[in-house]
Amino acid sequence: MKINWFKYAAPMNFYSLSGKLIPFFWIAAIIFTLLGLYIGFFNTPDELGNGMKEYYRIIYVHVATVWMAMWLYGMMVFWSLIGLIFNTRLSYMVASATAITGAIMTFAGLVTGAIWGKTSWGTWWDWDPRMTTYLILFFVYIGYISLQSSIDDTRRSDKASAFLAVVGLAIVPIIYYSINCPDPDQCASLHQQSSFKGVQSDILTAMLLTTLGFWMYSFAVILMRTRNIILHREQKASWVSKLKEVNQ
Amino acid sequence: MSEFLHMGGYAAYVWSAMGIVFLLVLLEPLLLVMQRRTILKNIRRLKRLEQRAESQKSTR
Repeated sequence: MKINWFKYAAPMNFYSLSGKLIPFFWIAAIIFTLLGLYIGFFNTPDELGNGMKEYYRIIYVHVATVWMAMWLYGMMVFWSLIGLIFNTRLSYMVASATAITGAIMTFAGLVTGAIWGKTSWGTWWDWDPRMTTYLILFFVYIGYISLQSSIDDTRRSDKASAFLAVVGLAIVPIIYYSINCPDPDQCASLHQQSSFKGVQSDILTAMLLTTLGFWMYSFAVILMRTRNIILHREQKASWVSKLKEVNQ
Repeated sequence: MSEFLHMGGYAAYVWSAMGIVFLLVLLEPLLLVMQRRTILKNIRRLKRLEQRAESQKSTR
C-alpha cells in the first residue's frame, strides 16, 4: 500500500486523520502509564534498601517527564526545520503545538527533580551542570512560546520562532553531556549518570513503560492542540464551515 | 494499605511528586477541550453573521 504523505500536509486532511487517532493515543497512554506505575510501586526491588526503596518511586515520573522534555524539543526543531525548508504551514502548527507540552514536561521534570533531590541529596536545588542546563531548556521553551505569541502576523511568528527553536537546539547535547561527560573526573555533578548498566530489570521496565505512556500522552495532547490551531487559523475556510462539529 | 500510603515516611515527597505530575496531565487536555469549544463557538458565530449578511444582500 502506498501512502501519500503529502496529502496529510494539508491541514484539512490532517485534521480529520488526527481526530481518528487521538482516542488510540489516549488508551495507549493510560495503559502504559498505569502498567509502569504498577511495576514501579509494587515491584521496586528490596536491594535499594529501606528508605530509598520508598522514595525511588519519584524517579518513574521524573525520568518520563525529563525524557519527554528533551525528546519533544527535538521534535519541535524537526518540524520547525521542515517548515523552514518546505514552507509547509502545518509543520509550523505542529511545532508550536509541541512547545507548550514540552514546557509542561520540563516544568514537571524540574519539580519532580527537586523533590527527588530533597529526598536523596538533601537539597531541593543545586546549581550543578545538569540542573542548570535543564533550567535553561525550560527558559528556551518559554522564549519560543513568548516569541510566537508576541508577533501578530502568523507567517512571521512561525518563522521567527522556528529559527529560535533551531538555535536553541545547542542546549540539548549540553544537557546530555552534563552528566555523561567523557571524562568523569572533570564533572563534579550531583546528579546521577543516566546509564542503563546495573539497573534492575524491574526498575528499567517501569521507567520505559511510564516513558512510553507519557510519549503516547504527548501525541494525544499535541494532536489535540494542533487541531485547535488549525481550526483557529482556518476558521474562514469553507471546509471548516462544512464540519459536522460546526453545524451542530 | 496505610503502610503503603505512608511510603516509609516519604509519603509527602512521593505523593506530592505524583500529584503535581498528574494534576498537570489532567489540566492540559481539559484546557484544550475548553479552548476547542471556544474556537468552535466563534466559528459558528462567524458563520451566522456571514449568512445574515448574505440574506440581507439578496433581499435588497
